[in-house]
Amino acid sequence: MNFNVVGQKIPKKDAPLKVTGQAIYIDDVELPGMLYGKILFSKYPHARILNIDTSKAEKLFGVKAVLTAKDFPPNFRIGFMKDNPPLKSGKVLSTRDEIAAVCAISPEIAEEAINLIEVEYEVLPGVFDPITAMREDSPILHEEIGSNVLKLPWKLTCGDVEKAKKESAYVVEDTFTTQWVTHCCMATSGCVAYFDVNNNLTMYSNTQIPSLAQNDFLEALQAFGLKNKRVRIIQVTIGGGFGSKLDTYPYEYIAILLALKTRRPVKIVFSRDEEFFATSPRQCTITKISQGCDKEGRLTFREVEMMLDNGAYTSWGATTPSVMMMPISSLYKVPNVKYTAKCVYTNNTYCQAMRGYGNPQATFAIESSLDHLAEESGIDPYDLRMINANEPGEITPQGFKVTTCGLKECIEEVAKRLNWKEKRGKGQGKRGVGMASLIHVGGGARVYKSDGCGTIIKMDDFGKVDVFTGASDIGQGADTVIAQIVAEEIGITVEDVNVIHNDTDVCPWDVGVHASRTTFVAGNSALYAARKMKAKLLEIISKVLEVPEDDIVIKNGVAYSKSNPEKSVPLARAIRRAHFTRGGCMLMAEHFYDPNNENLDKEFKGNLSAAYAYGTHGVEVEVDTETGKVKILKYVAAHDVGRAINPLLLEGQIYGGVLQGIGYALSERMIYEGGYLKNGNFLDYKILTVRDVVPVETVIVETDEKEGPFGAKGIGEPGLVPTAPAIANAIYDAIGVRIKDLPITPEKILRALKEKSSPK
Amino acid sequence: MKKILRFNLNGEEIEVEVEPHWTLLYLLREVLKLKGTKEGCGYGECGACTVVIDGKAVNSCLYPVMEVQGKKVITIEGISKPDGDLHPLQRAFIEEGAVQCGFCTPGMIMSAYALLEEKKDPDLEDIKEAIEGNLCRCTGYIKIIDAINVAKRRMG
Amino acid sequence: MKAFEYHIPKSLDEALTLFKSLKNPMYVAGGTDVIVNIKRKKISPENLISLRNIEPLKVIEKGDVLRIGSCVTHEDILRNREIERYYSALYDATSKIGSKQIRNVATIGGNICNAAPSADTACPLLVFDAIVRIYGESGERSVPLDDFFVGPGLVSKKENEIVTCFELPIFSPYTGSAYIKHSRREAMDLAMVGVATRLTFSVGKDLENLKIELRERDLGKLEEEISLHDLEIREVRIAMGVVAPRPKRAKEAEAYLTGKVLNRETIRRATEIAMDEAHPRDTIRGEAWYRKEMVRVLTRRAILLSVIRGIESQS
Repeated sequence: MNFNVVGQKIPKKDAPLKVTGQAIYIDDVELPGMLYGKILFSKYPHARILNIDTSKAEKLFGVKAVLTAKDFPPNFRIGFMKDNPPLKSGKVLSTRDEIAAVCAISPEIAEEAINLIEVEYEVLPGVFDPITAMREDSPILHEEIGSNVLKLPWKLTCGDVEKAKKESAYVVEDTFTTQWVTHCCMATSGCVAYFDVNNNLTMYSNTQIPSLAQNDFLEALQAFGLKNKRVRIIQVTIGGGFGSKLDTYPYEYIAILLALKTRRPVKIVFSRDEEFFATSPRQCTITKISQGCDKEGRLTFREVEMMLDNGAYTSWGATTPSVMMMPISSLYKVPNVKYTAKCVYTNNTYCQAMRGYGNPQATFAIESSLDHLAEESGIDPYDLRMINANEPGEITPQGFKVTTCGLKECIEEVAKRLNWKEKRGKGQGKRGVGMASLIHVGGGARVYKSDGCGTIIKMDDFGKVDVFTGASDIGQGADTVIAQIVAEEIGITVEDVNVIHNDTDVCPWDVGVHASRTTFVAGNSALYAARKMKAKLLEIISKVLEVPEDDIVIKNGVAYSKSNPEKSVPLARAIRRAHFTRGGCMLMAEHFYDPNNENLDKEFKGNLSAAYAYGTHGVEVEVDTETGKVKILKYVAAHDVGRAINPLLLEGQIYGGVLQGIGYALSERMIYEGGYLKNGNFLDYKILTVRDVVPVETVIVETDEKEGPFGAKGIGEPGLVPTAPAIANAIYDAIGVRIKDLPITPEKILRALKEKSSPK
Repeated sequence: MKKILRFNLNGEEIEVEVEPHWTLLYLLREVLKLKGTKEGCGYGECGACTVVIDGKAVNSCLYPVMEVQGKKVITIEGISKPDGDLHPLQRAFIEEGAVQCGFCTPGMIMSAYALLEEKKDPDLEDIKEAIEGNLCRCTGYIKIIDAINVAKRRMG
Repeated sequence: MKAFEYHIPKSLDEALTLFKSLKNPMYVAGGTDVIVNIKRKKISPENLISLRNIEPLKVIEKGDVLRIGSCVTHEDILRNREIERYYSALYDATSKIGSKQIRNVATIGGNICNAAPSADTACPLLVFDAIVRIYGESGERSVPLDDFFVGPGLVSKKENEIVTCFELPIFSPYTGSAYIKHSRREAMDLAMVGVATRLTFSVGKDLENLKIELRERDLGKLEEEISLHDLEIREVRIAMGVVAPRPKRAKEAEAYLTGKVLNRETIRRATEIAMDEAHPRDTIRGEAWYRKEMVRVLTRRAILLSVIRGIESQS
């Protein structure tokens, strides 16, 4: 297909602001009279609060307000399980519990005030892993709930796993564990809250869910006794998201209450230390998985049991099982599936969404186990994958309707570029190749009742278009991709399209930047709105050029008659004629696009997404068998994206995802001891530097998804879903040792090598 | 006790009253209101606060303000031309897709700026050495290296 | 940050006078440790005395010894051809410290006086038998670096004394050195374990054909090649970082290897003795058994690299 603008490598539209230092991030926001807020966090992971004495803090010059739990309405809780009060009373359940907050005329005075607050604790014994937390004699965290096991319904059953297991020719069983890793957004979290004279709230925010956050904050205002108010969310330039801003946090409600009490804008911005210990990381998992196949290598069943350390309170981490069901039921053709997951309260940190939302954790188990099955059955891992690869048109046991699917092409490309046949099994104990695939939602995800996104589009007298979208740009390029889609549909240049995405007063509703849905859902929303606008344009131009509508083509902002190209008019002039006259009209269009997907039913079955993204990653590694260090020699990332609307930004998503994935696989982990984070800084938490970069070969497979805007599907998350198992599988090929616990550190490899050569 | 600091900032001689315990980053952002230089960690571990002093890239979050006396400081606000024309690095970062969330970008560009001011034809090793102290979570660094190479060729 | 006054003396005596007269004073050079520690509330000096503008402290000069001023930055060390060629272990170590931004201001004196067990310049300076020169109220004195380290963060100097420079001997021909920093990532990292070696040797056999490929990656082949030439160890130093409260020399391993002819067996034995002299702890940065194992592995690699460099320096 020949497109003008879709498929072009267009630079990100807001890049000029960023390279000149003009982009405004949350810490750059300064409002007149603004106060600085700071939070006092708990000293212990589990303790009773006997007394909080804020008197010294209140007396400090420059302090304008001090809050404790009693300043919030009783029983005010946040989080989808409503178990998290913004300020704690009675008990603290983790070292990131918020106990008190102050705001002052300078950050220094705020910090001094925090240090003047005196808290008396009665230390209680804590539980720091889910297995211990489930024991009869372990302390209960939420006494009003009465149990440490959350009442969550995570259970999926398809077919008859027991029967399939008995009939399988080969069965493998393994346990895999994954660690806490954190987003490490380069800009720390923060917000600025202020109320106008009528008690309407404005929040400068980094949120990825402006419409849902609006709702959360409105509920808060109502709880504070403010009924019928407005909440306006203004998104600043967001310095990294990766899922970290998919939920609202206690600090936001604290800022709101401080602003209400002082009648002044209040800014809370986390220090890097706070960003590490007081934000919510990726859900850690303990996964028991069993898979089987018949003699020909066709998968017969997959049984997965998971245990999730829920931490002290509940955020989206506890819902990752709903996404983990996706690869468990639908990565490769597997007719019988059983999955259960248990979430358990502990005195640890609590988790939320992070790029992949559970998929990386589940895929690590599934794809590592698959290679084990390959070995057990004597079938090459490449062949085993090709035998079971999903195909277009199939319906998976969970009810996913697979439309386009380029999985086979991805697997083949990876094998080819890795020289699979020449290299597999031939690394002489040092080198190895491995691969792993992924499935992810690529056409939105009906997690809520709505998966929709609204767009309003207007064209002015100069032929310039403003697109008001509910979507957000968190650095991934939504602003640019939407501009390309609109420009392509209407026939103007990308420069002539301005995308406004960051003000709820102006932008329509959207459910949020998650599930890699923005290109597909917001893109479609913009496309349909642009189509409506084009229809109006054609009507106007038809009158101006005096030709039928189907004879008109618009290119670069000029409308031509196809049959008589000399008949042309710049769009701007045509619109002015229509508008700047008696009885004139203006040019606007709108569309709310809600994809044709379904909520999962009570059994967690249904077509969650309107399209699914597939991909395969392949890795060649070299292991230093004396030190256990792993070097990645070659990395191939093949992705079925439907259509690459912007190959430049798409590559950026893949490179970024892959490096995060390598960190997840090899070096990143949050080290907690007795409930305290021990490595909450950039020196001891090892995200990768430029020196750790490996060359990544990207393969873009375009399967032209009919439902997607110009054929596109989502790509935001897939880049890091299969990275860990691909690396683990390559390591196995190299040294015959399977590490089932992330991250795969040199110590684990060396220990495993020693055990292999001299088993006890 | 406040002291008078005189130094050259982005080509202009300036004089400003400072408290001796301030860092250069604090002076730039909070006093001079130049918000382009970012604070990523405050401990010299991420490079977001990188500025160039007498030709050398430094972490301004650890640079005592009194040491700036008499020196030449360049920040991200100071590398484009007076008429607004972008520096080749800025242009290359835009064109090569080296900018996603953009928070690391000013610091990253300043490290690359210091490199290209010193070496006309840095190789891959030199480039990695110059930016190994600048963390980026979004891009995976590959397009950043591309952009620096493009800028280098255009400037050469 | 808690407030402090900042003073910029132009001479050593001015610095000493300031230290004597001011309340709660502390010297600072590059600031990359001191400022961080103030921010982390580990220390709260009221007066910082900057040493970074005292010119004599910033000089590298070679005479009868190599003298490296205490306020020489890591970047300046990296630019020094003499150090790169004849004191390779120091070059290796310095190139892996922090980042460019840190190396542009941080100093070798600061790295040593901060005395972290992982201080990268410590092991190289130890294998070069560095002497620390110190200036105080009663004038100058010197201390061998090996006696200068007392414990983690502790050195043998009074608070008001100033380290002025490090003196490194000029070594005889066929001297080579190396420092290997074992870390989890390739930049911006502390050593999990660090090993430095310096060998001064003589060539017993077949000097004319002594040409060992630096690019040879098979260590076994290297050892075979080396043993063909009867390389006898005149002097050897092995220093290990992060395996003790302070950077430590493996003196028993050194004693074993002195006078021996270098081959697979003698190298293996030396690395095992060194490993036994290492007493690392389990910390969040690494496990003890692994660090010990790495001492053995890295000492061998450092010895081989030192030999190659010693040979190359004569070509």
